[in-house]
Amino acid sequence: MEQDKYKIIGKPEKRVDVLGKVTGKAKFADDYNVKHQLYGKVLRAKYPHARILKIDTSKAKNLPGVEAVLTADDIPGSKVFGIVVQNQSILAFDKVRYLGDGLAIVAAKTKEIAEEALELIEVEYEVLPVVTDPEEAIMPDAPKIHGDNNIFVHHKVRKGDIEKGFQEADYIIERKFKTQFIEHSYLEPEAILAEPAEHGGVRIIGSVQNLFSSRRSVAAALNLPLNKVQIIQSTLGGSFGGKDEVMTAMCCRAALLAIKTGKPVKMVNTREESMLESYKRHPYTMYYKWGIKSDGSITAMEIKIYADGGAYASMSPYVTWRSVVQATGPYYCENVKTDVITVYTNNNYTGAMRGFGSPQVNFAIESMIDIIAEKVGKDPLEIRLQNGFEKGAITATGQKLEHNVSLKEVLLKAAKEIDFQNKWREYKSQSDAPIKRGIGIACSYRGVSLGAEGTDAAGTIVSVQTDGSVIVSSGITDMGQGAQTQMCQIAAEVLGITMDRIVFLNTNTSRVPDSGPTVASRGTIMGGYAAKRAAETVRSTLMSVASEMTGYDVEVLDLKDNYLIDKDSGERLASFSELAAQCFKKGRPMFGFGWYKSPPTSWHEENGYGNAYFTFVYGTNIAEVEVDTETGKVNVINFVSAHDLGRAINKQTVLGQFYGGVAMGLGYGLLEEFEIEDGIPKQLNFDEYLLPTAKDIPNIKAIIVENEDAAGPFGAKSIGEPTNEIAAPAIINAIYNATGKRIYELPANLERVLLGHKLTRKGERGSVQKEKEELIIESCKIK
Amino acid sequence: MKPFEYKFSDKLDEILHILSQSGTDAKILAGGTDLLIELRRKPKVYPGVIVDISFVNELKGIFEDNNHITIKPLSTHTKIFKSDIIRKKAYLLSEATSQIGSLQIRNRGTVGGNIMNAAACADTVPPLIALNAEITLRSQNSVRSFKLNDFFIKPYKTKANPDEVLTEIKINCLPKDAKSTFIKLGRRNALSISRLSVAAVLQQDEDGKIIDARIVPGAAFPTWQRVVEAEQMLIGEKPGIELFRAAGAKVSEVMISYTGRRWSTEYKEPVIAALVRRALERCSI
Repeated sequence: MEQDKYKIIGKPEKRVDVLGKVTGKAKFADDYNVKHQLYGKVLRAKYPHARILKIDTSKAKNLPGVEAVLTADDIPGSKVFGIVVQNQSILAFDKVRYLGDGLAIVAAKTKEIAEEALELIEVEYEVLPVVTDPEEAIMPDAPKIHGDNNIFVHHKVRKGDIEKGFQEADYIIERKFKTQFIEHSYLEPEAILAEPAEHGGVRIIGSVQNLFSSRRSVAAALNLPLNKVQIIQSTLGGSFGGKDEVMTAMCCRAALLAIKTGKPVKMVNTREESMLESYKRHPYTMYYKWGIKSDGSITAMEIKIYADGGAYASMSPYVTWRSVVQATGPYYCENVKTDVITVYTNNNYTGAMRGFGSPQVNFAIESMIDIIAEKVGKDPLEIRLQNGFEKGAITATGQKLEHNVSLKEVLLKAAKEIDFQNKWREYKSQSDAPIKRGIGIACSYRGVSLGAEGTDAAGTIVSVQTDGSVIVSSGITDMGQGAQTQMCQIAAEVLGITMDRIVFLNTNTSRVPDSGPTVASRGTIMGGYAAKRAAETVRSTLMSVASEMTGYDVEVLDLKDNYLIDKDSGERLASFSELAAQCFKKGRPMFGFGWYKSPPTSWHEENGYGNAYFTFVYGTNIAEVEVDTETGKVNVINFVSAHDLGRAINKQTVLGQFYGGVAMGLGYGLLEEFEIEDGIPKQLNFDEYLLPTAKDIPNIKAIIVENEDAAGPFGAKSIGEPTNEIAAPAIINAIYNATGKRIYELPANLERVLLGHKLTRKGERGSVQKEKEELIIESCKIK
Repeated sequence: MKPFEYKFSDKLDEILHILSQSGTDAKILAGGTDLLIELRRKPKVYPGVIVDISFVNELKGIFEDNNHITIKPLSTHTKIFKSDIIRKKAYLLSEATSQIGSLQIRNRGTVGGNIMNAAACADTVPPLIALNAEITLRSQNSVRSFKLNDFFIKPYKTKANPDEVLTEIKINCLPKDAKSTFIKLGRRNALSISRLSVAAVLQQDEDGKIIDARIVPGAAFPTWQRVVEAEQMLIGEKPGIELFRAAGAKVSEVMISYTGRRWSTEYKEPVIAALVRRALERCSI
């Protein structure tokens, strides 16, 4: 029996962080307070684009209770930071580029005094013209945000001969798609406590996702070596990719204030500050042009995408690289030309968010594949099975897929679960009533981990104590997704112990190796693999001690259920605790360090091809909806989510990812939109920024498909992002099935579903503005 | 939040006295579901005094008397939708209050607050107007009554003076054979602000002819009104889809005559018509 292969792997073990969270004992960033702490606040920009002529802080400095007022001039080291392009200011010094830019920081005895001081800071601006539309920002006369060119990334994929591909086509179909800014909506807004440390450095504890990159920037800003900047992760109340640069800025600012004042400084964003300053998911404008044969096969895909990078580069170069790699979807096509152009604007900067460049393109791809299905008279499942990748397929980037390509397996399993094809046919020809039903499908393939983005390696430590209890720590962080539990389960499986013996230490940059960022759904595969290796190191020491202890050969010994056993008879020879004590007595190391570096990948940026990712995962979502054709209201009534994730280390955690991913995807498809008008954000709290509630989430049937992959620990791959990247297109396709009207721009809110376009109040009160018409071009070469 | 003075009493007389001393600087706190959020937003006109009336028991309760129901203003939305009196004799108000905000908001928020805050999306107001509600306001030296549909000047603006407290809402019980409904259209299924709403009442005689019709749209007009032009079309007629469709179209037409064509009219015009038609259908089954 497959289930009996492992004791701990695949089991619904309790999360290691559960007790603290359900009893309220877990300490989130804002729960950390120390005596004499000061409160830090940030003065943010008055205009989305302006030159800073003068900042006068003298009045603020004189306010009783204020201990420091700092500007960029007070930063001893680097005034800017950035993972790829170093151009994001910790505090703006030349210009403000979006409304969330900080200009000055205050530390005061109370929050109220700090806020009062902000109002006393006088800034003289020279207001500059604003550019907020990426396609306007690339015009020669557009206002420039940095330097003299707003385009800062242009990724390409080139395969075959695009002209030839279109010549071979019977139909050429062109469509334009648009997506919106969305907010990560982590429950816990940004918060940290920064304290001056004994050695002249600084110690920061807080709600930070990617501790090592934040540490690099703090060290550079303060002119400190990395070993004098310690960042400890508090229990995180969510991140979804969102607590990277915005936290880096907060870390740098609080650290500056702490060093200047010699006192601990607490900084906490209100929700409004958080939404104003934090980065968002990139809005994309996508032009898709596909050539197809009358049998539904695809001869050419020409794709041009404009991504709004906002005011700073942030993760855009990486986010849009994933988009360029995955822009064609998991479909065979010999001739591909994809361009993704990322531009600066005066909007909120955009960066990492669960999905990382895939939710946008998947919306376009999965809409296109449905459009071509209809054109050639096939159903949505048939067209995907016809064109979908199989083992050995060559992707758009020229990569041969050598692993188990389970696209068709997940498609068929999901479709069978909900009787997709029959429902689709039935709904297509339903009678005319105000409430209509529809069903829609979407699938995807997704590169696992960072791929050719950069160095991909991680380390985990497994330390057995003399009483047989175990401490696990890692450079991979937990923000609520359950990485800790996955790593502990892997260590427990290898060591033959139960989970109650293990404690996970929150990540501390000074105690664990830099393992890169915890992004790209790489926690389990990278941190977990490293945990496996670390545990195996300890195990091998324990086993050799066990052999000495018992006189048995290592081969006949095993560790099981907290005991050393005779493998053949099952006889318990010693407890794990006794074994650990013996090991210590003999002076043998019980500390295991595991390091995992991903298999190689490659990328040729100039010519746009390469082995982008070392393996991929496959998923399918199906949404069943009710559309009120008189109001535009869409209710999702049923949902199927099927994903091949290699192996589920913890089924409950995996199901949590399935459900949460669908809920977030539903918000993306139907409700959420962070609107920015002329550089001014419109929604700064959850009264107006609409997340789905429990009553909007349908019954979700999760199908876990497990095809073990050699690249991951116990065959495990990724699940966090895949679950979030195809819910929206499944819903949009379902709306089409119900109404016969296609949504080309997200979210499919009341107005778009009813009228086919969004309504915006702009300019004079009373004036009506329609968005530009959609691009729908079809040419038929069959006479 | 800026500092403010906080005053409270469990006696209406004392509350009225406090208000008479406070001038225009005072704000009344009932459930707080609007006021506290407003305070956090740092409004331009920031109240100097918050007068908490939530302890005043004489402003609580729902009472039936003859053919009238008196709803005291501190009745929470939860209290109203759980009230048997309301469910039996003013059903549409029960329906409306059950859909307001979230459980927490329904438990805190009061009908008096909903009226006095006068947001265009206030969900208790259309049903109350359909129930011909009259309200009483008291200050230390005066008692004034209004028909609820005469009380509003524009969204967030009423005819109440700063020293006045809403002390009573009085509605007519619906006749036994009348049917009523409230339809709310929001963007999501909970914690939702009305994009549009309709309160409707229909009464038919033994022959099935409509003898009473009341239609009050919400979040559609500058202030709430019964749409008499549409109601009149129904009187003396028998229910029918075409009739209801025509009444819905009339409501749209009247809405546009008040608001003119605005950025949102393209959406509201067909949708309010459809919601009115549906509400009337529901009241005639």
